[in-house]
Amino acid sequence: MHEMGIASSVLEAVHKELHRHPRHRATKVGLRIGEYAGVDRESLHFCFEALVKDTEFEPLDLAIESAPGDELDFAYLELEDKEEAPV
Amino acid sequence: MNRVSVEKKILGENDQVAARLRAALARAGALSLNFIGSPGAGKTALLERTLERLPPHTRAAVLTGDIQTENDAIRLRRYGFPVRQITTAGACHLDARMVETHLRDWLESGIELLLIENVGNLVCPTSYDLGEDAKVVVLSAAEGEDKPLKYPGIFRKAELMILNKIDLLPHVPFRADLARENARKIHPEIEIIETSCTTGAGLDHWLHWLAARAERKKAESFAEVAS
Repeated sequence: MHEMGIASSVLEAVHKELHRHPRHRATKVGLRIGEYAGVDRESLHFCFEALVKDTEFEPLDLAIESAPGDELDFAYLELEDKEEAPV
Repeated sequence: MNRVSVEKKILGENDQVAARLRAALARAGALSLNFIGSPGAGKTALLERTLERLPPHTRAAVLTGDIQTENDAIRLRRYGFPVRQITTAGACHLDARMVETHLRDWLESGIELLLIENVGNLVCPTSYDLGEDAKVVVLSAAEGEDKPLKYPGIFRKAELMILNKIDLLPHVPFRADLARENARKIHPEIEIIETSCTTGAGLDHWLHWLAARAERKKAESFAEVAS
């Protein structure tokens, strides 16, 4: 139920992270979500896709790794050079 | 492809606000409890019975969260302590910023006990740190005794489980022993107090827990200031 808020926090964090890589665009976001984090992955994927659609972020993949505890971490970001991006 | 490691908490901003709140509450020596439970578990009734029994000089304050209405605040204001309603307008949980915004002048005015009633929900509030000293999960005999297994997150994080509505036990199939066992399967150290806000059973035990926890908080804050 709060997956929309989580997805929105993830995109804000991506936006911030991209400030450090001005020549790049993000292709994939990697999250680590614990089994006790209380986050439904399917719902998070759905919200994430809905928020990314028709924005500067599109296309942007979401990858979710499992963890044993209550982790709710933004683990990594995959980038590509804007110059090399297919137009 | 170029992968950069980020390694940040997704709710990092909430955690920062919560840390600020926790520090401010510690300076004030105020105990803060975050009550989480399903809609109808009896969170508001428990707070009503608590406020009713608190020594009148207690500098207590209540924040109560709901998606809509001031109903809970109206119920809780009858006991003479300051109460503020947080209406989340759709959000299924409180976050640290809402608590910080609604606290306003309370810390300066010297509260010693902050009771936060979260939005009725066993899932979402679990992820949001409100700067509290402890989460208290309220489970009632009108629910299922397997709730700790179905919603392990909150039972894992809660320091105390209030098993409420025990006056219903003779009338419902709910097995209190099984509920306790399930909670301890998820969190072996969880403390459990059984209450009925209708008959008053167990409320002395709960108020004793509350008073001891508040004393401990004051002592910790004092030790910190002194060091």
